Amino acid sequence: MVDPSSAWDTWLQVVWTFLRLSLFSLGGGNTLLAEYHHLSVERFGWITSSQFADIYVLAGAAPGPSSMIVGLLGLGAGWDHGLGWGLLCGVSAEVAVLLPSTVVMVAAALSWNRLKDAPIRTAFERGLGPITLGILFHVGLTVLRTADHSVVAYLVSAVVCALMLFTRISPLYFMAVAGVLGAIGVIPS
Amino acid sequence: MRDCPSASRTAPLPALEPLTLDLDETKVALPSFGGGMSAWSQRIVVEQRRWMSNESFITGLTVARLFPGPNQINMAVYIGAQFRAFAGAVAAVGGILLVPFSLLMLIGVVYFQFHAAPAVDRVLTGVVAAAAGMALSMGFKILHVYWRDPLALGLAALTFVVLEFKGIGLIPVVLVLGPIAMALYWPRQQRHG
Repeated sequence: MVDPSSAWDTWLQVVWTFLRLSLFSLGGGNTLLAEYHHLSVERFGWITSSQFADIYVLAGAAPGPSSMIVGLLGLGAGWDHGLGWGLLCGVSAEVAVLLPSTVVMVAAALSWNRLKDAPIRTAFERGLGPITLGILFHVGLTVLRTADHSVVAYLVSAVVCALMLFTRISPLYFMAVAGVLGAIGVIPS
Repeated sequence: MRDCPSASRTAPLPALEPLTLDLDETKVALPSFGGGMSAWSQRIVVEQRRWMSNESFITGLTVARLFPGPNQINMAVYIGAQFRAFAGAVAAVGGILLVPFSLLMLIGVVYFQFHAAPAVDRVLTGVVAAAAGMALSMGFKILHVYWRDPLALGLAALTFVVLEFKGIGLIPVVLVLGPIAMALYWPRQQRHG
């Protein structure tokens, strides 16, 4: 299992994957979730679909930006090659996904005054909004299909979705209640 | 005070050790769950440290949402870049991520070691279903913004259908539909003044 050449291959795969996706993280980064699932589960087989769902939860519930899920995907990718490779791939994945967007954001922060009234800014802002909306619905369905394997689970998701939209209760409570429901065996896995 | 502190500030920026920036960003990152992050960073950056005006801070939030990258991290980049351009941005992002990321890696290691345990698996089945509901709500949450704009709804539907049913990856879809959408929304009237 510990074959250095294949470990390097995995590392390169991880770095290249996240480096090239970085600039496509519109709307705060959640738009990339479906693509993460496709690449890490279906294309590269770093992790299983149910591990992806678990990781999504861990990244969301832990303190800090939920976009750190990328670090966990990297960790999962390198895990088979040992703990050291797992951590290396995890850190590298996070750096890779943040580097290009950070460079662009630095340029934006320093030149915003000149861009403020440019037509391309308006077009960018108004045009990419609807694209982001379409992607987010695709992401929602992808996570739903990944996470839920029973009618009860779909029901829980639907209720939480409605509560998210119509109340201001912290999602941590929903996760806690659903976790208890799962633990007592109400939700078949 | 104008919007862009780096270009138009009259007072010089305070001399700032990257470490100070790191520590403050860490204070901002920890209580961030549930969207409280921008209020926290506003308190520290604008009210306590007086690094920038409230106006620049609000501008930063807009820019951070607009450009690719996670919003909270982009905001840290915006704040850091005002001090030391790229180096400041790296210090700020490092500060905001260091503690939570290390914690998450630790959680990840525990997870990959123990996730096969049946009890853990059952709890996660429930939590995952709840989280999926949260993911599903993201699209609905911003739907109202575009509700009266048939063109936007059409573009969103097209994006959704191509991704969902044609199996085309995100990158080609954004590269093709993005410029088309920008062309359709290019401002037509010249603004005067």
